Amino acid sequence: MTSATQPRADGAARSARPDQPDARFLARADLGALIDALRAEGRRVIGPVRRDGAIVLGEVAAADDLPAGWGAEAAPGRYRLIRRGDERVFEHNAGPTSWKAWTFPASAPLTRVAAAEGETTYEPAGTDIRPLAFLGVRACEVAAILVQDRVLLGGPYVDEDYQARRGSAFIVAVQCTSAASTCFCASMGTGPEVGPGADLVMTELDDGFVVERASAAGRRLLDRLPTRPATEEAIADAMTAVGGARATMAGQPGVQIVGLKDRLLARLDDPRWALVAERCLACANCTSVCPTCFCTSVLQRSELVGTASGSTRTWDSCFNPGFARVAGGNFRSRTRDRYRQWLTHKFATWVDQFGTFGCVGCGRCIAWCPVGIDVREELLAIAPPIAPSVLRPSPAPIAPTPQEFGTARVTATRHETRDVVTLVLGDLEPALLMTKPGQFVMLTLPAFPRLPISVSRTRSDGIELTIRSVGPATDALTRLKPGELVGIRGPLGTGWPIDAAVGRDVVVVTGGIGLAPLRPLVDAVLADRSRFGAFRIYYGARTPGDMLYRDELASWMASADVDLHLSVDRADESWLGPVGVVTHLFDKASWDGSKSSAFVCGPERMMQATATALFDRGFHGDRVYVTLERHMECGIGLCGHCQMGRYFVCKDGPVFTLAQLGDIFGREGI
Amino acid sequence: MTAPMTPQATTPPRHRPRVGVVKFASCDGCQLSILDLEHDLLSVLDAFEIVEFPEASSRRSDGPYDVLLVEGAVSTPEQADQIVELRRQATLLVTIGACATAGGIQALRNWADHDAYRAAVYAHPEAVESLPTATPVADHVKVDAELRGCPIGIGQLRELLTALLLGRRPEIRDEAVCAECKRRGAVCVAVATGTPCLGPVTAGGCGALCPRWGRGCYGCFGPREGANAASLTRELLAAGMSGQEVGRLFAGFTGWAPAFRAAVEELTGARPGGTGTTGGAQ
Repeated sequence: MTSATQPRADGAARSARPDQPDARFLARADLGALIDALRAEGRRVIGPVRRDGAIVLGEVAAADDLPAGWGAEAAPGRYRLIRRGDERVFEHNAGPTSWKAWTFPASAPLTRVAAAEGETTYEPAGTDIRPLAFLGVRACEVAAILVQDRVLLGGPYVDEDYQARRGSAFIVAVQCTSAASTCFCASMGTGPEVGPGADLVMTELDDGFVVERASAAGRRLLDRLPTRPATEEAIADAMTAVGGARATMAGQPGVQIVGLKDRLLARLDDPRWALVAERCLACANCTSVCPTCFCTSVLQRSELVGTASGSTRTWDSCFNPGFARVAGGNFRSRTRDRYRQWLTHKFATWVDQFGTFGCVGCGRCIAWCPVGIDVREELLAIAPPIAPSVLRPSPAPIAPTPQEFGTARVTATRHETRDVVTLVLGDLEPALLMTKPGQFVMLTLPAFPRLPISVSRTRSDGIELTIRSVGPATDALTRLKPGELVGIRGPLGTGWPIDAAVGRDVVVVTGGIGLAPLRPLVDAVLADRSRFGAFRIYYGARTPGDMLYRDELASWMASADVDLHLSVDRADESWLGPVGVVTHLFDKASWDGSKSSAFVCGPERMMQATATALFDRGFHGDRVYVTLERHMECGIGLCGHCQMGRYFVCKDGPVFTLAQLGDIFGREGI
Repeated sequence: MTAPMTPQATTPPRHRPRVGVVKFASCDGCQLSILDLEHDLLSVLDAFEIVEFPEASSRRSDGPYDVLLVEGAVSTPEQADQIVELRRQATLLVTIGACATAGGIQALRNWADHDAYRAAVYAHPEAVESLPTATPVADHVKVDAELRGCPIGIGQLRELLTALLLGRRPEIRDEAVCAECKRRGAVCVAVATGTPCLGPVTAGGCGALCPRWGRGCYGCFGPREGANAASLTRELLAAGMSGQEVGRLFAGFTGWAPAFRAAVEELTGARPGGTGTTGGAQ
């Protein structure tokens, strides 16, 4: 055990329990000294204040700002302040605001784009913040902060704005001595005793606070406060009080977490999803009040005359209709899809992604749901307790990577079809010249939304991007002219694992614009042709005029190195080849799939049909690679839009094996 | 990193788009919102040629218009003809406000006996020529875009104008008032005080103006995509409101919008033309 006089050099929090021998006592009258000491360090002190019928989190200048004598009752869809008969300031539980409002604000400037005097600049908006101090952070909320740390700082990419704010925060935790009917931290294993992560841990008694030192910074602060050693009686009272909160929760519903992940993922077709969707308003109150929800969107705003524009990261929600929308449709069009995404993320796929649940049991989503939907009840109905399971360890953090856009210059353009253009980009950051086949970049023009675009060729002096005009933003990109600039960030995502196909036959199946992300793979196989077996390409398009790279198709057709098969949905008089869906091309072929690796890109329905046909030919699921399209805004697994089960398509994909995807591939509403 | 700019960002449009602002049955509040653009007004005048704007200038000009902003519901036979003609003259027709997009407050008469109303209000009802319904512009002609609200939000208006100039899609989020309420740190009036609030089923864009002042949302931006009015109705009834009261809540500003209209008619028994009870819709 760390002695009272030897602060831990690493400053890390340790288990904080009121029976530590170095526990101190801060008299109620001296609480102001704690606030003063934090403010003297230049910190904004955030703590509970009473406003608009609730105990919310706000700036605290003095102890008088705290809600002395006020408590609150919470139930599904209901919250009411109550007047207490004492002077306690922390005798309440989680309110409508969570600390993420300060570590991960609802709206944070991201990029500033200025165009003047013939120059365009993309610059980070920058985070200019005063150091923070959080006063009165509950056990569940400390746990929630650590969950967001894993999500936003756990790597491989980090959210720099969060990093700056979070890094500045001094955390004064308070252990709950009562529990609302919506509380279930005890069942999630996050409270009511405060675990690691706090700088100081306090427990409120009538006459003051039992205070523990938790971190080196906490110790240094505590040494400056007028405290005295806590008496054994005070320590015992504090323990008893926290035990009371635990006992209250033992008598009310919780979440049975043992085996929960597997139970829940086995119930993706449960009829209850449709029932809860009849109640769910898809209003996003649950995700807004949730202390761990991290999904965001980027808002583009520009001045009317267009000389300056900027982007802002704002809270978004998987419940919003546009959240999973792409140019061709919406991956989660129904409320049942969205509710299922949210609940399975919180209690199942989050575990695979981050080694922890996405729920800490604070109960906010229950209390602040306008129709009182209770996650505990839904989980019990959908995934009743059965078998145990083991949690995976958390992923190891990797070094941060800049998230900002640079610029690239269009050096050439080529019209592929009536609505598809290939841009050749030069003047690139060196990293972009290392783009691997199958990776993508985020592109943007000032005041236009940022879009994920596959790289269709990596050259020694630049990259090529093949873009179809499907809306105003892609239209603007396809109208770029040589010499013009485009904002770019990347390369991003996983590529095609070409090395895993060495020594095997290679089959490429693709349709329409889907050839673009596969062209670098074709380049790579042809460049190293002797290392692969037979090389077959099956390419379908709506009409002959919709085929990309026609010069290259002609040269592949003439080459002995590749066996190219083409098909169209609708022929014209120029077309002498087969007509029909692309999978028909290999229905009658004689080759053996068990010695082959397949690389597939096209609309999801076409890829499903292809997968079925390939399985029929003896392919294994771990040798069939597909690349998926999803709504992407950040491209690095931080904004949440592209989630598909346990995966962030941008970061864990977009290339996946069918074995990885399992039964979520092609499933509606995932 | 600096380099020559892209023309999309900075090149002025080839010509200043000709913009008209016209009104039908409405209070002019949405037109006044255009004047609320304040420090952007001069930029608007630079970027657009405003040829018709009755609330700002007595100068009148006929079309054609590159962009026509239409305020107000179609409430008279004359207006029903005018909107067809204006549509012919407009390349892009954008409806602005609850009246133009949903019929507005005056659509309450759609559930009433038109003749009885006229007789009750006017000394010489025979002098008043009006249609029995006040209907959204989209019931009459094709509408290219709409800005909701009573009045419209100037943030969305600014975004629409900017997007028109840049040739991109306006970035107007499809989300509930609740999302704006929470982003602004407001306390939910429904949960914390039991105030009836249409926020969860209403499109955002107002910045959660009413809830931030302790009032429930009146639904003036109209139902959002997939608005689950049935679930909110069950909740309000369970909290002790009568069907008539809940019906009146939905009926107020955008009650004629389909998702709210269905709730009004189910809860109050109101029927078009006032053949059923109209009490719930008044």
